[in-house]
Amino acid sequence: MRRTLILLTLAVVMPFACACSEIGPRPWEKDLMARSEMQMNSYPVLGAAEDHIYFSREASSGGRGFAGGGCGCN
Amino acid sequence: MQLKERQAGDVRKRIARLSAGLLAASLAGHSKSAAAQYDSENNNFGPGIAYSQLDAALLVYQEAGGRVSATEPTLDLSVHGADGRQLSLGFVADAVSGATPNGAVPSNIPQNFLTPLRAKGSTATVTGASGGSTIIQLPPTPGQIAQAALGRQYTVPANTLPVDKGFRDHRGAFNFGWAQPLGGISEVGFGGSYSRESDYQAVTSNAHISQNLNSDNTTLSLSINGEFDSSFPFGGIPVPLSVMNAQWKSPTSRNKTQLGFVAGWTEVMSRWWLMQLNYAFDRQSGYQNDPYRVISVVDPGSGEPISSLYENRPLHRQGQSLFWDNKVDLNPAVTEFSFRYYTDSWNITSKTAEISEHVPLGNSFYVEPSGRWYQQSAASFFRYFLVGSQALPQYASSDMRLGAFTGLTYGAKIGYHINGRSEFYLKGEYYEQMGNRHPASAIGQLRQQDLFSGTNAAVIFAGYSWDFH
Amino acid sequence: MSEDEGPALRITKIGEDYHAAFAAMATPCEIRVQTADGALAERLGQLAQQEALRVEHKFSRYRSDSVVGRINASGKGGLLVDAETGDLLDFAQECHKTSDGLFDITSGVLRRAWHFDGSDRLPDPNRITSLMPLVGWRKVSWKRPHLRLLPGMEIDFGGLAKEYAVDLTLHRLMAVTTQPLLVNFGGDLRVSGPRSGGTPWHVAIESVQMPGTASGILQLSSGALATSGDARRFLLHDGIRYGHILDPRTGWSVKNPPSSVTVAAETCVEAGLTATLAMLQGADTEEFLKREIIRAWVIR
Repeated sequence: MRRTLILLTLAVVMPFACACSEIGPRPWEKDLMARSEMQMNSYPVLGAAEDHIYFSREASSGGRGFAGGGCGCN
Repeated sequence: MQLKERQAGDVRKRIARLSAGLLAASLAGHSKSAAAQYDSENNNFGPGIAYSQLDAALLVYQEAGGRVSATEPTLDLSVHGADGRQLSLGFVADAVSGATPNGAVPSNIPQNFLTPLRAKGSTATVTGASGGSTIIQLPPTPGQIAQAALGRQYTVPANTLPVDKGFRDHRGAFNFGWAQPLGGISEVGFGGSYSRESDYQAVTSNAHISQNLNSDNTTLSLSINGEFDSSFPFGGIPVPLSVMNAQWKSPTSRNKTQLGFVAGWTEVMSRWWLMQLNYAFDRQSGYQNDPYRVISVVDPGSGEPISSLYENRPLHRQGQSLFWDNKVDLNPAVTEFSFRYYTDSWNITSKTAEISEHVPLGNSFYVEPSGRWYQQSAASFFRYFLVGSQALPQYASSDMRLGAFTGLTYGAKIGYHINGRSEFYLKGEYYEQMGNRHPASAIGQLRQQDLFSGTNAAVIFAGYSWDFH
Repeated sequence: MSEDEGPALRITKIGEDYHAAFAAMATPCEIRVQTADGALAERLGQLAQQEALRVEHKFSRYRSDSVVGRINASGKGGLLVDAETGDLLDFAQECHKTSDGLFDITSGVLRRAWHFDGSDRLPDPNRITSLMPLVGWRKVSWKRPHLRLLPGMEIDFGGLAKEYAVDLTLHRLMAVTTQPLLVNFGGDLRVSGPRSGGTPWHVAIESVQMPGTASGILQLSSGALATSGDARRFLLHDGIRYGHILDPRTGWSVKNPPSSVTVAAETCVEAGLTATLAMLQGADTEEFLKREIIRAWVIR
């Protein structure tokens, strides 16, 4: 049981522990990532306003950022 | 001499991609060193900053049926200095007015509600005409501290959801943030904010650290935040589950603290797919009641409201959420879809799914339709109403924000890139809330009433973004 | 700016545009901006000159203190390179694979055997054979950021540097102004977009037979142009024209290449690389361009 656990852990950790090879696209393959539309949260002002609206109407908040709204509207 | 057999245009496309990628990589690294060169005369912000961005925006929000409306202008400034340093400042103001449900159930006869008169300096006028309320002379009530002689009374017609029309408030807030690389760490930063309205104040602070790995394909981040809120409602803090009255109450304010953290993993999965997974944990302790909100106690036979009691919510709340966001570049359109699962110690669980499609039209315009589906379950202490013959629970609230409902948002955004550096955008959204209008627990006249106090809202958002040096 | 920065910057006003001219990378360089603001033109000219000289100093194989100079002098231990050099090496590696070995930045040593003076003296085949062990990207050990060459090998970014400098310079200038810009380093050029009012820039393609005159005028509203080929550097033997572009797999010149190929693409790097690859097809240049659906003009 203990041995299986160790082997399982290694199986999960090893791909990330291997520093010799890199995972993911090479730097020159990230041309599309340079587009502003491909940044996460590319319109923070709009996102913050929408989060504020949902915070004042719903019980859950947070996800992308902190929970809580910093205002008394909930 | 011939290149291997491939599809027509394969080599050209590959070269195009490689070239674009090389330049993107070089420019990303280059702008830092170019900025450093540019900045050699001035070490701090001022001339020689790499670039700055100013965002001005206006939000207009209107609920259906004469309920809440709000206008919220915002201004955000973000300065990117040499060597990856970043300063951000933001200002928000909002003006909210309209009618908001007070938490009571509708009745087949008109109902009167009594609240304290607003304090001096309040912007709400209290006359028969405005806000639909009247100043009344209160009968003396023995044993009350700071007995008020006058109170505000408003009447709600029969078969109407009780709302308080005298609701009006202004809020101002500012926030700031600082981020920079530190030694071998990709980014560390901290920030804070302050928000103030006539009956509420919130101070927040946060710090974060993030590390890029794997040729910048992976970013791991951890941020912690704390918040200290003070609620100082008109009329003071009511005794929970006491009868709604017009007296000024004691204490005048109560506080709440919140502590939380967000652990995030962002990964460039492939050339066209960016992903983010966040886990957030949050603990709140202190006063979490809505001091203006009541819950009706109804007659066990007829279902008619007998009295209104101030609500009560637990002092502690602990929540967790898992958020998964994806951006997929289908060139030229970019699709974003995300899911969030939330659960907390008040027994609320929610699921959120969002999708949007960014479609460029020509060189300058774009449209972006979007949709959001949200579903939440009720808090363990949520009740549409209380029944007179039953023992009072320890906690009870009829605030639909804590109830079970489904929310659907339909949105459409259009944007126009004025030149390479400024952009104007307009977004319209319609938010529909759907819940159980006739819960099975309804008795007597309540069975004929629509007990769902959620509502729909239309939102317009206009923004202008400007990059400059 | 230090004293050895080369000839001064010359700003002139011609029509609606300001031209800023200087020399860098052994080639006449020029930027054009459609503006009435002379001070802006001067600033842009300085930035362009700065960037062109930066790329030249960093990647010139003639300077022992340049990155390339240090790479070529590095011994068996190899050396660590910075991010920008690493990106160029990664790019060169990918281009090497995409072109099935035709594009190879280690092929520079072959210039020791070939002298393109317009004569009919082909190189001694033994000389070429003796140089071939020093040519071939697969002999390079490149594990970012560590680079190691075999003794005697050299790398040369000459086929990329000018186009790379054009792209970087244009971006640098576009960060400062939204006025229409054209950056032209020795015939490799790129525009920021159309001129005001949406009118295109006019670019003349130099005639091969009569240098200094135009053999055609192109209208360019966006993107870049790069030209490969040089009418003056060739050998002519038994009626076969040997161009100065060598096939790194054989060490020999490509047979019957066109006199020049001008390619239009979104970026100058892409245009330049494509033009080089097109030239390397020799007699099959036109077919390659057609198959790859490339916008190009070939002069034979």
